[in-house]
Amino acid sequence: MKADWQLAWRRFAVMLVKELKQLGRDRVLLAFIVYAFTADIFLAASGVSLSLNHAATLVQDMDHSPQSRELLSRFQSPYFRMDGSVGQDTAALAALDQGRAMLVLSVPPQFGKQLAGGQPTSIAMQVDTTNSVLGFLATSHAQQIVSQYGLESAMRRLGLDDKAAASLPTVQNDIRVWYNPNQQDSWFMGVAEMLNIATVFAVLLPAAALVREKERGTVEQLIVSPLSPFGILFPKVVSMTGVILCGVALSLFLILIPLFAIPVKGSLLLFFALSGLYVFTTAGLGLFAATIARNLAQAGMLSILILAPMLFLSGAWTPPEAMPVWLRGLMYASPLHYYLDIAFGVLLKGQGLAELQPAILGMSGIGLLVFGSGLLLFRRQFG
Amino acid sequence: MADTIIRASGFGKRYAGHLAVSGLDLAVQRGELYGLIGPDGAGKSSLMKAVAGVLSYEQGQLEVFGQLLDSERSAEAIKDRIGLMPQGLGQNLYGDLSVEENVDFFARLRLVPRAEAAARKEQLLTITRLAAFRQRPMKQLSGGMKQKLGLVCTLIHAPQLIILDEPTTGVDPVSRRDFWAILAELIASQGLTALVSTAYMDEASRFTRMSVLHQGQKLAEGSPAEILQRAPGSIVLCRAEPQLEAMRRLSAIAGQCEAMGPAIRLFLPDMSAEQARGRVSTVLAGLDCQQLDVLEPELEDVFVALLATPGANGQQAQTLAALAAPRQALDSSALAIEAKGLSKRFGDFVAVGDVSFQVRQGEIFGLLGANGAGKTTAIKMLTGILPPSSGSGMVAGADMKQAGALIKARIGYMSQAFSLYLDLSVVENIRLYAGIYGLNRQQTALRLAWILDMAGLHGHENDLASTLPMGLRQRLALGCALVHQPRVLFLDEPTSGVDPLGRRAFWDILFRLSRLDGVAMLVTTHYMSEAEHCDHLALMFAGRVVADASPHAMKQQLLTELGQLYQVRADNAAALVAPLRQAGFANVSPYGTALHVLTLETERLGMVLRGLGVGQPPQVRPISMEDVFVQRVGQLEAQKAAQKGSP
Repeated sequence: MKADWQLAWRRFAVMLVKELKQLGRDRVLLAFIVYAFTADIFLAASGVSLSLNHAATLVQDMDHSPQSRELLSRFQSPYFRMDGSVGQDTAALAALDQGRAMLVLSVPPQFGKQLAGGQPTSIAMQVDTTNSVLGFLATSHAQQIVSQYGLESAMRRLGLDDKAAASLPTVQNDIRVWYNPNQQDSWFMGVAEMLNIATVFAVLLPAAALVREKERGTVEQLIVSPLSPFGILFPKVVSMTGVILCGVALSLFLILIPLFAIPVKGSLLLFFALSGLYVFTTAGLGLFAATIARNLAQAGMLSILILAPMLFLSGAWTPPEAMPVWLRGLMYASPLHYYLDIAFGVLLKGQGLAELQPAILGMSGIGLLVFGSGLLLFRRQFG
Repeated sequence: MADTIIRASGFGKRYAGHLAVSGLDLAVQRGELYGLIGPDGAGKSSLMKAVAGVLSYEQGQLEVFGQLLDSERSAEAIKDRIGLMPQGLGQNLYGDLSVEENVDFFARLRLVPRAEAAARKEQLLTITRLAAFRQRPMKQLSGGMKQKLGLVCTLIHAPQLIILDEPTTGVDPVSRRDFWAILAELIASQGLTALVSTAYMDEASRFTRMSVLHQGQKLAEGSPAEILQRAPGSIVLCRAEPQLEAMRRLSAIAGQCEAMGPAIRLFLPDMSAEQARGRVSTVLAGLDCQQLDVLEPELEDVFVALLATPGANGQQAQTLAALAAPRQALDSSALAIEAKGLSKRFGDFVAVGDVSFQVRQGEIFGLLGANGAGKTTAIKMLTGILPPSSGSGMVAGADMKQAGALIKARIGYMSQAFSLYLDLSVVENIRLYAGIYGLNRQQTALRLAWILDMAGLHGHENDLASTLPMGLRQRLALGCALVHQPRVLFLDEPTSGVDPLGRRAFWDILFRLSRLDGVAMLVTTHYMSEAEHCDHLALMFAGRVVADASPHAMKQQLLTELGQLYQVRADNAAALVAPLRQAGFANVSPYGTALHVLTLETERLGMVLRGLGVGQPPQVRPISMEDVFVQRVGQLEAQKAAQKGSP
């Protein structure tokens, strides 16, 4: 019995060393891995932002009254950026069409006079909502500014000053921001990108490693050796998991923590342990792609096909509650969905095993299923 | 009017610092079937691509149709007179298009007028006997048919010069002969000039003239007869017991000395047949000499003689002398592999049907057959990868039905891809396989030293496998397959892409393994000349073993059934095929500038030939394994066709 274990261990060890050596000699792939876990995550964290920033705004002031000037002066940075004024309607439309402006504010003539005369009045706002998120944000910010101005001018007209305003029956909304007190996009984007990259490599690396052996014919040599299918695949997946965990450590300790001050609220050990579990089980999808594909190019394309829905259905962009019912079901089948919960939970919320139990169970269940079917496919093809 | 179509002077091509071809001179005349012969990496493809105007070159000059190829524009000027068929089965064709669609596509690509294209298509499809398959998608054709279709597509725009890069590589012997016959017919009827490359030395005699290339250099140029004269001498084929002692004595007198199954074949340079016979008889005095034939050298012998360095041979002789005694008493009656009625069905398709054979310990057993004959499936069952549908088998003392894992641990396997990790070094590859087979540190060190010795890899220990030449790579793969000292070794097309010198060294190692260490070997090969190295052969056709005997016995059987092989030389050899067939000689085929006739009626053949005005009497040629293979498969295919036709 002891001899059997020794034999199995020796086989595992030589296969593991072989995989790592092969990867180490593939300079291009190695450079790609390092780039993805450092520079790419830095770009995502610093560049991509989901908030309204310096939206290009043009004004068409046909009133030129003190009231119109006061209202327009309230559209300020950081949300808005005044880019000047336009005279004609056609010029305003042209600016929107050409993308020179995102917003055009039009103040009609008589705006100041009507306001002073106690009559209701309106201004027009045209918004480019090609990017629906930014368009929505611009509209709501503008709405807030205009209604605030309307309220103030109404109170002034009623002769009430700021002190009196306190006695009015208005509702104050007191917001408490948890987990990301400064609401920095870089925290969310950086971590989400790191998880995405880990997922991409978790699928791609084992797929590439296996399909390369298929192309070269070495897999045949392994099949006729006393190695079992599990004995061939297990060291591959273990070594790739190790490499990806190193990549995650690289991005965490070199980019996210020092440059973006991401707090690690929970246990790092727990985070890496669960990341390892996630990567290992997701590798089954890569094995699945590699069994179907005949060459590296096909394996790459299949991996993209598998990855695209996984990333979109992860819940990073839309929580499951906001999804149509049928898509919600698919989301619960995406292992990345659970991993996101786990990673954000540990890193930002400081959750422990107890809080994460459902996510861990979900991820392990799906992962084992995926890995098992990958192994089964391989066994069927080469058994 | 013999004008020069291709003229190269001092031609050279360099790839990233590596010189593929250098200082090459050659001239091809109109109407010639000009051959470029040499192993992989000899520079054949580079020269052919440059002639076709699709590859630029650095050294020397290249003239095609009298046009100096020195720029894109000058190359463009000759392209409509050239047809190029690149290397690889059906490489220039579209797999999803049918035979006819492929031909039409190439006709339109070359802007052939519609009526002319249609007429040429019919003519070419008829000559190549593809007319019956015009609706079949290309990817469903056999290798030989793909190459014939490639030839049709290359010829559709009526080029004057066709360039065929290894058109017969990977094609089974029957289709290969068919291809050469069709090519000869087309060259004669269309007034073509052809530049054709091949890695098979035995195809050389089909060329009008040729260049023998090796590592970018020209070794020899001329007609087959002229090249054979470059290394005059005699080949002796003899059988003497005990074989090991005979081998030891003979390798001392001849640089080229190799075991062919139970026989020994050696080349004695500059000796006449009489001298050679006398010399060998003297050397073998005291041994039981059962057979002693003197033959003419073949092109491969000349190739090896031109290349051979005295150092390498000295080394071989030494090792043989040192190992001249078996290490242990061999029980040659013990069975290493026994297949009993093995069958494998995939749905309705019978891949292997009722296959039985036996391989004894220390025997080299050859499994021959065209692609799709079931060789690979049979090997997969015997190596425990694929469970058989019915039948049973014992491999290395284990039952293949129950003890697949045990078999895997006891056998060695080497495939045609030389399954090495190219990004690992020599030592790393060996250590990896040692680990997989569970060797401990001590055993690994011992085997590592043994493999480096056996394969001659000293000095290359830390080189990556990808940087090794093919011959060394092959021996490293063999070493890896032998790391756990298996008693049974499976070799699946182990010598493809290796030059003749490397092949000979490889077979020498296999011989020693079988005779000295008693390793049993099952080899598949498509080099028919290699089948002669085997002690025993099984010929597979359509999933069945249709012949099971020693190479010698197979040849003898063919001789008694169909008679001797005669070579007929005449000025108008090609024109004699039809009258000879009419006269009742069924087995007539063009062979280079000569004809080959297989017949029992020697005297009548002489008479008929005299009646046709042929002065030279027909010469007897030794039958090769390829003759046996082609005849047997031809008979079986005719039977199968008759069975299909009758009910």
